[in-house]
Amino acid sequence: MTAIKHTLQKDLFQPNEERLVAFVHVTKAGKKKRSSFLCATLSVAEGMNQTMVYQVKKAEKGEVYKKKMTRYLRDLKVVDGKDARKETADFDLHFEKVYRWTASSIGERDNFIKYIWKLSQRYLDQKPEFLNVPKKLMEESKHVEKGHTSMEGMDVTGIAEDYQALTTKEEQDLDLLMSECQVAISNAEVFAEQLSKQLSVLDGANIHSIMGSEDQVLNLMRLLDDGIQQAEKIEEKLDSYNVILQVVKDQMEVMKDKDTLINISTKNHKKLLDELEHLVVSLDLDMKFQKALADGDLSSSRGILECTEAAKELEKSVSADIHPALRKMAAVDEQQKKFAKISSNFAKRLSHHLNNFFIHQGNELGETLSRHSGDLKLPQHNSIHRDLIPYAELMLWLKNADISNFNELSKVYTQSLSKLYVREVQDFFDCAKLHLAGKGDRSKLGSVGGSFTGSKLSGSSTSLNKYIEARGRSSSVQSIDSVSLSYSSNINVAARHLFDQVLEKVFSELEPVCLAEQDFCCRFFHLVSDLRKDSGQPQEVHDSDGEIWMPLNPKITVERQINEEVRNMLGALFPTLQADIDDFISFADKLDGFNSMYLLVKMSQHVINTQDAGSFLSKTFASSLVRIKRNFDSFIEMQIKAISETKVSKKSKCGIISFVHNFEDFANLAESIFKGSDRHTDLDKGYTKLVAAIFDNIERIAVDHPKTPKEVIRMENYHHMFSVLSTLKISSLEGDKKKAKHKYQDSLTFYTQDRLGRPLEKLHVFIEGVKGYLSQGVKPEDVGYQLAFSKQELRKVIKDYTGKDVKKSLEHMYKKVEKHLSEEENLLQVVWVSMQDEFIKQYNDYEELINRCYPDAKITLEFTINDVLDFFSDIARSH
Amino acid sequence: MREYKLVVLGSGGVGKSALTVQFVQGIFVEKYDPTIEDSYRKQVEVDGQQCMLEILDTAGTEQFTAMRDLYMKNGQGFLLVYSITAQSTFNDLQDLREQILRVKDTDEVPMILVGNKCDLEDERVVGKDQGAKLAQSWDCGFVETSAKAKINVNEIFFSLVRAINKKNPDTRGGKKSGKSKSSCTLL
Repeated sequence: MTAIKHTLQKDLFQPNEERLVAFVHVTKAGKKKRSSFLCATLSVAEGMNQTMVYQVKKAEKGEVYKKKMTRYLRDLKVVDGKDARKETADFDLHFEKVYRWTASSIGERDNFIKYIWKLSQRYLDQKPEFLNVPKKLMEESKHVEKGHTSMEGMDVTGIAEDYQALTTKEEQDLDLLMSECQVAISNAEVFAEQLSKQLSVLDGANIHSIMGSEDQVLNLMRLLDDGIQQAEKIEEKLDSYNVILQVVKDQMEVMKDKDTLINISTKNHKKLLDELEHLVVSLDLDMKFQKALADGDLSSSRGILECTEAAKELEKSVSADIHPALRKMAAVDEQQKKFAKISSNFAKRLSHHLNNFFIHQGNELGETLSRHSGDLKLPQHNSIHRDLIPYAELMLWLKNADISNFNELSKVYTQSLSKLYVREVQDFFDCAKLHLAGKGDRSKLGSVGGSFTGSKLSGSSTSLNKYIEARGRSSSVQSIDSVSLSYSSNINVAARHLFDQVLEKVFSELEPVCLAEQDFCCRFFHLVSDLRKDSGQPQEVHDSDGEIWMPLNPKITVERQINEEVRNMLGALFPTLQADIDDFISFADKLDGFNSMYLLVKMSQHVINTQDAGSFLSKTFASSLVRIKRNFDSFIEMQIKAISETKVSKKSKCGIISFVHNFEDFANLAESIFKGSDRHTDLDKGYTKLVAAIFDNIERIAVDHPKTPKEVIRMENYHHMFSVLSTLKISSLEGDKKKAKHKYQDSLTFYTQDRLGRPLEKLHVFIEGVKGYLSQGVKPEDVGYQLAFSKQELRKVIKDYTGKDVKKSLEHMYKKVEKHLSEEENLLQVVWVSMQDEFIKQYNDYEELINRCYPDAKITLEFTINDVLDFFSDIARSH
Repeated sequence: MREYKLVVLGSGGVGKSALTVQFVQGIFVEKYDPTIEDSYRKQVEVDGQQCMLEILDTAGTEQFTAMRDLYMKNGQGFLLVYSITAQSTFNDLQDLREQILRVKDTDEVPMILVGNKCDLEDERVVGKDQGAKLAQSWDCGFVETSAKAKINVNEIFFSLVRAINKKNPDTRGGKKSGKSKSSCTLL
């Protein structure tokens, strides 16, 4: 403890002229470990009774202590000992805030508080409050005071402030001094006197030496002044050097700037030079190109080639990548103006040339057109296309260079060519019509040529036409005779075959022309530049062999992407194509409804299987196809209307109704047309409607007919329908076939039953009566006892029907049936057999009933089953 | 009796014909045959009114697009059909609708958005919400149907008739039915 105290006093407080009065080894309350010392000190400096409290910490390394906190004791407000009675090491010091401490031992704490109390009692006006501090700490002090001060030399009384512990050296000196003077201890007075004497001597010597050193001081001062002056001089020099250096630095910087500037300007020069070189190169157009552009021969292939090359060069120059600022240069401007002039001149020359070419071609071909009109052929324009294709590159140039001229040119092209195409297409279709109408009736060939309406009005020709008109009103009047008018008549077959051929031809002519034109337009007017490369292939195929046309060889057509532009252009080139096709369609339809079927089959092949669904031709054909479909639908409707309007001759027997007959032919023909087509569904729909209408109208006519019984009409017609449907084997009509069979059988049984009621009429009535009784619950044996149905009555009835009579009445019935039935359907035998069966069934029925009701009477009919069979076969044979 | 000209539009193979035939004849046509054009007539009763529907079943494939203008000009109400199993058929309808509005030159044309083949849930590509959203933006009805399973087939035609009625109330029939609801209307 004392060692620490000594160290603290020596290291920390002595230098500040302070004296350590009390210290305590503490830790902060609550926190262990970081121990420090609280020290109370008293300032030893004169006139200053400063009392302080320090917190001192030991540095982490080494034996060095540091003041961490410094407080005046006068700022201490409260000293809290926590508990006055209980002994504790804790205590609080209230300065500007409360510091809580825990002393390392109770004794130390008490000691520290005691000294604090003492110091505050002595030196402070405003004393801190001491709370919970044991009373003894504040009283005891006086007792302890004397003993302690003398013992430890730690006087806290008035004198204590002067006291300073003597160092060993001082002690030795003092000892020496005292030993020198023997009297020192014995006679203090003398000693003091001696000492003061010595002191005054020493004082005098001191003053003397001080006075003696004055000169030296002065010398020193002078030297110092000199030194200062020298230093100032040096400084001045340094300043001037500095200034000089500054100037040099500035100059160096300027030079550096200049250097970079020079570098930049060199670079710029180089760049400019490059730019100019590039400019000159790009703007320089060879004289030979200029010449080619100015007056190259546009009609020779070499000239065209040269011009194309020149145009490419020109375009390169015109579209050269030149900085906009450079365009302001007079030379550039001039050159560009020159180019513009060359290009516009050339554009003018080119468009003029092509313009003339187009018009010339249009006119020339128009003149040669008449040559073709004899046979059904659409002239190919490969020659024009061949002639024009070399210009394609130039057209591309023109498109880029002068779009308005280009547009103008394409307009001229479409105009002049469309005139041509319109005429060609019209002539072509007229020719096709002529072919169609012509073969029908050769003599009328001339008059048909103009228009189909004329041909129709002139009563024309075509027996088909007549037939269609006839169908509605008169055809079925002749009933059976209508066979002669049926669809399969020789002329019609020939005409239909012809139509098929013509149609084939129409497509095979029209399609290549359209496609060739389309390809040409794409290539020549560069409508779809990127796709043309691969579509060149099919083009050549078409060129080399015109007969190979698309739908038969769908693989040839590479998928084309046809855009709006191409479509519009072709639309402009073939402005009347749609109308012409539609015209042709309606002409064909008017000629014969079956033509619509042919058209439907052919056209749908083209439209639905097409590869380029968006092309002009596909769209045109598709629209036409819709029209054809409508014609087809209305053709079916017309058939149905004709069926529902059919009237049957009232004078003769009905037989097979005309439309039933006709259906067979209709279906056969339709099947042959639709064979292998994927549009069979459309036909199936038509069939379904037709058959439904036929069934309805069979019923209508059956009910209405005055002569033939309705059963017969039903039977015969349904039988016919059934056999027709069976031979046709159309899957979609399977249900109708079954229906027809069912209806036929129904009406057959109904008819036979109805007819058979007659030959044994009385017996029939009798038996019905017996049956009536039986059903009322009368026992079979009891029937004989009824008055009306006695054995006698039965015998009487049976007697009326001898074999001869029966045969006679059967014969009569046969005649009647024969009269009802038509020869055509030849159902007489069937009916007769059916009647025989029915009659035998009846016979057995009667026998059985008689045996049951009159078991013992031995009544039998006058004739046996064998007789009946003989009757039937005899009658059948005799007729 | 009032006549309604209904047109069924949509891309190829979405089931326009299947829906129409199912509605008119009650049959599901299994086989796919591209339609050229078919027209049907059917008399139905919608909200107590007898209506004669003239339904035009159109071709969906690209080459027939030239006829669409004509259909749109003549039709009074439109069923715009797509297949829930093919996104492209759904996307195509936007253009179709714009074309209708352009041809009709009005913003309000009775139409119903129809998502067909809803029985093929496994192959679904177009979500129901997508359809509903589109219909909302068009301000028209939206129904998912199946011609095969006969789901909502009649509903789309009836809804369309109602939409036409709403836009163009039949003044002639309306007055009569207004006076006496229970009595027969003169046809």
